[in-house]
Amino acid sequence: MTNLDHGKFTRVTTMFHSLLALDVFLLFFTGYSVMFNDELWWLLELMGGNTGVLALHRIAGVGLIVLTVFWITFMIIGPGRRSNFRAVLPDLKNDMQAFIQDVKFVLGRADERHPHARQFAGYTSDEVPLLSYVGKGVIFIFAVELTLLMVSGLLIWSKPSLMQFFQTKAAAMAFVVFHGLLGVIMLMGVMFHIFEHGFHPAFYPVELKAFISKDKMPHTDHSDEDHEGTGIELLTLRPSWNWAVNLGGAAVVIGIVSVLLGSIFDEGYPVPRELTIGGGPTNLLLTIGINVGVLVLFLGLLLSVYGNVLRARYERQVRAERRTAETSHSDD
Amino acid sequence: MSTDQNSMQREQMSQGVMSVGEGTRIFPDVEACIDCGGCVVACKRTWDVPPEEQRISISTMFEGQEAEKPQLNSNSGRALNQGEFPGETSFPMQCYHCEDAPCVSVCPVDSLQKNDDGFVEVVEDLCVGCQYCLSACPFGAPQFPESDDGAEAVLGGGGIMDKCTMCEERQHVGKGPACAEECATDAILVGDAGDIADELDKRDAAPAFNKEAMEIIFGADEARAFDL
Ligand code: SF4
Ligand code: SF4
Repeated sequence: MTNLDHGKFTRVTTMFHSLLALDVFLLFFTGYSVMFNDELWWLLELMGGNTGVLALHRIAGVGLIVLTVFWITFMIIGPGRRSNFRAVLPDLKNDMQAFIQDVKFVLGRADERHPHARQFAGYTSDEVPLLSYVGKGVIFIFAVELTLLMVSGLLIWSKPSLMQFFQTKAAAMAFVVFHGLLGVIMLMGVMFHIFEHGFHPAFYPVELKAFISKDKMPHTDHSDEDHEGTGIELLTLRPSWNWAVNLGGAAVVIGIVSVLLGSIFDEGYPVPRELTIGGGPTNLLLTIGINVGVLVLFLGLLLSVYGNVLRARYERQVRAERRTAETSHSDD
Repeated sequence: MSTDQNSMQREQMSQGVMSVGEGTRIFPDVEACIDCGGCVVACKRTWDVPPEEQRISISTMFEGQEAEKPQLNSNSGRALNQGEFPGETSFPMQCYHCEDAPCVSVCPVDSLQKNDDGFVEVVEDLCVGCQYCLSACPFGAPQFPESDDGAEAVLGGGGIMDKCTMCEERQHVGKGPACAEECATDAILVGDAGDIADELDKRDAAPAFNKEAMEIIFGADEARAFDL
């Protein structure tokens, strides 16, 4: 192993990421089985049926708030957290350049991607920043979306009180619609996130840096070795990657397009009636498409669990190796 | 108006229930309502509605006050539509089984459905208690009797929604809604849109809701039958 850029996150961050993922998946499964009820009735049945599903959604919502409060407190008072926080802030010059270079790269006018656009391309951790501009964008967008979802969710918690407070029903409806629309946007983002990190050729099927903290990552110092390269040359592409990435990519595209169409066709909610273009949602293709989208979420949940299984295995392996090393040491 | 004309007019007035079945509408004549609560009792007795819940309720505003213009004192509907102070007015509030029902369009799980003969029904097995219909209904019809019980009270959910059914079952056997049959002053009109518009005309009364609300209840076409 080499010091590639994958030992990035602290233990608290990796734990937080896993817990956040679990909670957000629960929110998604409960929320979408209500929103796309025509297509996901089976999921609603699994999630507590019509009388339990929203109770579960609300409990998961409280979970999200608890996690967020913990995280913010930790960011403020945790040791050395502020430097990490700085890494999330945009570096306007380099991030912009990386974006422009990416556009050129796609158009075939640049030979390589900017360091600020790289998550992993055979670079060592000191050559690329902690987060690529895409990574920063993902964190920023998710943070804004989750904040707005929490605020609007709390506001519509008790609709009668909200209506009394604003003295109008329209306000309550506006928050309901906002909460729903934002949920759909977030769903699309999460599908993309799952694809981006689950199907990267170097990491497929999971990026372990999200699960194994940087203190557990082996850091071999190569400065004294006559070693060329960073270790990427030692990797081989898994044979299943090719079809898996095509299948996963297709599922993500179908899922994103379907939830978008589904929310437009399901008149009234979350898109206001005046803006909808269609009537009935009971369309076979749409049903399949939205189910494919939810399948992508299940895949994300599965990968998140798998990442943690790998972490546990890895930690066990490290412990075993240390024990053997200790015994052989005491034998000497 | 002479006494003769008055009695003639009274003879021409219909019962509250003019026709039942497919395409039936229900609509209040607020001028006739005297807030006696007869409809509330009839509804509760007919459907065993529990004490903490009401499928129909009378809301009386400006109790004991007179209209600004004396000639509008006996025509709250007209006063309201002209933006004048109507004086004491009682509204029998219930589900009007709207043609363009906003509750049906917001219900995320299609628990609210407008069926072929025009009734807006709640499918109890589908309702998730989200209370979106409560936010959407302009008339406060959706009720949530379970919202104070157990888990719902802790988590703020609504339980299963309940509302006026316009006595659909009674209508299927040719009877009118219990509230309208019981109303001593025939303040709850039941019939098709034309019947109701004609009856209000005969009574020289105007609908108490504005044009927007009338279009929701009767649909843009039928709402034209009313003098707005
Ligand atoms: S919007 Fe209100 S009054 Fe109209 S059908 Fe729905 S519940 Fe009944
Ligand atoms: S409370 Fe029930 S009937 Fe009302 S909108 Fe929600 S699911 Fe539909």
